[in-house]
Amino acid sequence: MFLLRLAVKNLSRYTRRTIITAVAIAMGIAMYLAVDSMLLGAAEESERNLKWYETASLRVHTTAWWEDRLFLPLDEAIEEPQPILETIHALGYGAVSRTRFSAELILGWEEFGEDGYLPVEITAIGEDDGTVYRYGATLAEGRFFNAGEMDGIVLGSWLAEDIGATVGSSLIVSTRGKGGFFEAFDAQVVGLVNCPNPNVNRTLVMMDIQAADQYLGMKGAVTNIDILVPDREEVQSVQRTLSQALSSLDSSVIVLTWKDLAQDYLAIVSSKQGGSSLILFLIFIIAAVGISNTMLMAMYERGGEIAMMRAMGMEERRLWVSFLLEAALIGLLGSAIGMVLGALATLYMVEVGIDLSFMLRDLDMGFRIPSVMRGAWSLSSFIVAAVGGTVLSGMAAVIPVRRALKSPITTALVRL
Amino acid sequence: MVRLEDVSRIYQNGQSVVKALDRVSLSVSGGEFLSIAGPSGSGKTTMLNLIGCLDTFDEGELYINERPIGGMTNKERTAFRRRHLGFIFQSYNLIPVLTAYENVSFVLELLDMEEKRIKETTLHMLSEVGLAGLEGRRPAELSGGQQQRVAIARALVKEPSIVLADEPTANLDSKTGEEILTLMKTMNERRGTTFIFSTHDAMVMEYARRLVLLHDGRVVSDEQRGS
Repeated sequence: MFLLRLAVKNLSRYTRRTIITAVAIAMGIAMYLAVDSMLLGAAEESERNLKWYETASLRVHTTAWWEDRLFLPLDEAIEEPQPILETIHALGYGAVSRTRFSAELILGWEEFGEDGYLPVEITAIGEDDGTVYRYGATLAEGRFFNAGEMDGIVLGSWLAEDIGATVGSSLIVSTRGKGGFFEAFDAQVVGLVNCPNPNVNRTLVMMDIQAADQYLGMKGAVTNIDILVPDREEVQSVQRTLSQALSSLDSSVIVLTWKDLAQDYLAIVSSKQGGSSLILFLIFIIAAVGISNTMLMAMYERGGEIAMMRAMGMEERRLWVSFLLEAALIGLLGSAIGMVLGALATLYMVEVGIDLSFMLRDLDMGFRIPSVMRGAWSLSSFIVAAVGGTVLSGMAAVIPVRRALKSPITTALVRL
Repeated sequence: MVRLEDVSRIYQNGQSVVKALDRVSLSVSGGEFLSIAGPSGSGKTTMLNLIGCLDTFDEGELYINERPIGGMTNKERTAFRRRHLGFIFQSYNLIPVLTAYENVSFVLELLDMEEKRIKETTLHMLSEVGLAGLEGRRPAELSGGQQQRVAIARALVKEPSIVLADEPTANLDSKTGEEILTLMKTMNERRGTTFIFSTHDAMVMEYARRLVLLHDGRVVSDEQRGS
């Protein structure tokens, strides 16, 4: 108790120095919490938007298709999707079949002001697509194509803007069907989609699956079956269950999680988390240097006092505790201020967020977030920051204290 | 109580070797009020440091309360100081952020004494050195003489067998210095504590009942005085 009292009183001895050091730590911690909140918020929202608009929770492909996925091979499609869909539905999960294929949009001079073409990936969806995906409320203009509508396509709003397409624009879709034959058909833009996933807005081209089936000669085959897993269930566990159930049905198919499908995104998140860890590391360096400097000065100024206490018979153990406590208290003070500032920053990030529309439109950050980047609360980050700031501050005092205790008592007493 | 037998302390600084104490032998009995005097560099502080177990010697042996000090580890010397020795420093060396009470009581905290006894003992000690009512003041709010009284209380509160004082009045005016010496002597008589203090001030030497003169690390005179 005496040691704690002494440590607290010693803090008041150099108020300005203590405050400056604590504020430096506080700013670092607040910055860490703000950045961490931002990244966490972006990651949570990205995950949601990936599942809702891009990958679903799980997806069934043939193994051969997955191996050649960069070419979107129609020849490796699932030939008999119906039994698979029925099995998945029987297990209580929503599932829809889709066909993805590569194509070129050929743009004519009359409609777009110049001739040109654009390589795209087209997703053909059925009318039950809404049981897994959430495009229903994302229509910015026009309408969705009807079941069996042969020439209706829907574009992502940014893609449409980039090529100068509007609802009613006509273009030609050129592609190769199953088996490799060439196919081209006229299409008309019937709707524009603007969803919270910028990747979708930037690249989406959708058409009806029945029309695609005819144009591509799929004869009922589809490239993938997408599955919705409720949030309360663990995706990996459902993946295992479905893999087992489907293996007896069709040994050529595999069940992939959204993480398998969005590895590019996960790599970006991982590198950004590395950035967050780097910030944390830099904060700890700031704290260590600040505290170390403060304690070194304190040790130098109080060398005589320390010698006196040692002369009086104070054990090194108690001196260690006293000074480490003092340093840890500076860290605790800095952490407390930092957490208040960090909480305010997080609150702002959660409630208001940062408008990144000026850059998200043209720059792919990897995150699947809408124009406003919002934060999220993370109790564990607050605990890490507080404990880390305090413990590391205490540890930063080790070198100065060791140095002070190494000095012979008689030498230090001369400085009295 | 304290016995030095042919004790030498040699300091080496590069090529030069200084014999701060040269085969000194001295015996101090319990309850003595002894002054170690001599010019600067004569070895007064070195001798006090050795008796205070703050420094180690190179030759001879030192006994305190019949215990040989030479073979003690650092930890043992710390424990010995905590229990048996009190110190008074020239510049008081009080902890500025603590009150007079806390500056004295912390010595008892080191002995893990119970809170109630610490309070009683500390207040009694402060009253004995004439600081009753000033317990709550910090060093900056006390005069030099009062600060040295706190230092004396701090040295005596744990009832050590020996109190060592290095030039205890050097920072005080002569009147206050005399008051401090009188107080030390009173404590010596009242409590029977052995006081060993260094000085080069003739007035301070007058107070000693035994005066040991050092010169170039050797005892050149050792006389009992009447006062």
